[in-house]
Amino acid sequence: MTDSVLDFDRVAIHLGGREILSPTSLSVRRGEFVCVIGPSGCGKTTLLRAAAGFVAPSGGTVSRHGQAIRRPSREVAFVFQDYGRALLPWRTVQANVSLALEAAGVPAADRPARIARVLDTVGLGGHALKFPAQLSGGMQQRVQIARCLAQEPELMLMDEPFGALDAMTRESLQDELARLVREQGLTVVFVTHDLEEALYLGDRVIALRSNPTLEKPSLAAVIDVPLPLPREQLATKEHPEFLRLRRELYQYLGHA
Amino acid sequence: MNPHVRHSVSSLPPEGAAAALGAARRRLTNMASNLRPFVFPAVLLGALELWARTTGRGSDALAPPSAAVRAFGAALSDGSLLAATAFTLGSAGLGLLIGAVLGLALGTLLGLSRRAARLASLSVEVARPVPSVALIPLALLVFGFGLRLEVSVVAFACLWPMLVLTQAAVLQVEPRLLEVAQALQLSPWQRFVWIVGPAIVPRLFVALRLGVAIALVVAVTVEIAANPHGMGYALIIAQQSLDPALMLAWLGWVGAVGFAINAAALALQRTVARRMGAEGGA
Repeated sequence: MTDSVLDFDRVAIHLGGREILSPTSLSVRRGEFVCVIGPSGCGKTTLLRAAAGFVAPSGGTVSRHGQAIRRPSREVAFVFQDYGRALLPWRTVQANVSLALEAAGVPAADRPARIARVLDTVGLGGHALKFPAQLSGGMQQRVQIARCLAQEPELMLMDEPFGALDAMTRESLQDELARLVREQGLTVVFVTHDLEEALYLGDRVIALRSNPTLEKPSLAAVIDVPLPLPREQLATKEHPEFLRLRRELYQYLGHA
Repeated sequence: MNPHVRHSVSSLPPEGAAAALGAARRRLTNMASNLRPFVFPAVLLGALELWARTTGRGSDALAPPSAAVRAFGAALSDGSLLAATAFTLGSAGLGLLIGAVLGLALGTLLGLSRRAARLASLSVEVARPVPSVALIPLALLVFGFGLRLEVSVVAFACLWPMLVLTQAAVLQVEPRLLEVAQALQLSPWQRFVWIVGPAIVPRLFVALRLGVAIALVVAVTVEIAANPHGMGYALIIAQQSLDPALMLAWLGWVGAVGFAINAAALALQRTVARRMGAEGGA
């Protein structure tokens, strides 16, 4: 477990007197792409927010490299689902990305080159001077991802980042994200309610169930996804292993 | 192809003339509809003029508008109009500035710190409903007649709406942006300068527009009630010296100044909202 980036040790979370997450242990290795799925209200977003340090667990510890997480850190980037609210509407695309660099104290002279590089990576090179409201939903989410990449985080937490986008945009962003993660060796925890998205992107899929009990804890299943890389929208989703895993996960969630 | 072209060419001149005529008629209709809002005031003024020259001749309360216009011209040429207007606008502006700066600072503090808000809530709720003009006797004792009397009462009147609206604006900053600030480990100062400050600017201009209207009303009220300077004082003096023409002239002028200032403040607020608002405005 020495190369684990994120560790949940019997983490339980209660919100408003209700148990959202029953004691759950898991760890995320460096360079791993972990997807978390489950029905709405199963605590997958809460789990992610605990990993970011936005929420303190009611029991157990969340730790990074053995250090308990008490508050958010710039080492960890968080991509929110509602990209429209997570961007500064009064700043241009490049100034939004710049926020992460300003926060990290990067000297003004070094910022433009780094901003340009990150914007090129997410395919927004030609839109640096636009305002978020002038961009489509998919492009706005790219801006948020660019800001998170500019943080040069060791861990990226993504909360249903493509949930509000149309199917076409979602697929192209999935492929871009997969490429990015592989190129930059990122470690990602990706929350989604879309089973296929989880299998398509993840090296490992963690399935949660809602209303946990003693016999049926929050953690319903952990499934390795040994599908070949790089994945491809048609070939991967027609792969027999993909279909088998999808059936298996579907049954887990169906019984949850 | 050919006959069609010839046909359209030959029919062009009359069509062009008809189009020009139509455009002229449209322009005339436009002009008429632009003038429509002025019809009612014009009729009212005409009726007043007629009444004042016939039945109401010798009235001490009202004068014909034409006499008010003459009185206005006289006040303009002897410099009293300019001096009084400058005094009223100057003290209203200074009072607004002081009230706005204090209200902004306190409102931001109360919006950012829940503890400060709890501590201050009683004082704010008690002081806020005090009618600002009720403060005139106290301000008169402290400052005497003059600029400081008026500025202090205007500042008090502008402070509360600025404070309350600023506090509300800070509390309504998108919570997601505050989480972004948290995720990026911004310091309290950075959070204010990069996130909270810019986020509340459009709402602050709404507050400022309200403040402009309040400042002018309160300044004129202070002059009518106590302070022997400015437009309000000129108005009350004209009334007391039984000069209804001059009084009406001042009334019309105060109304015109108020209208112009509110229109300017509204235009400023809209510009800022467009620049800073969700549209992004490039």
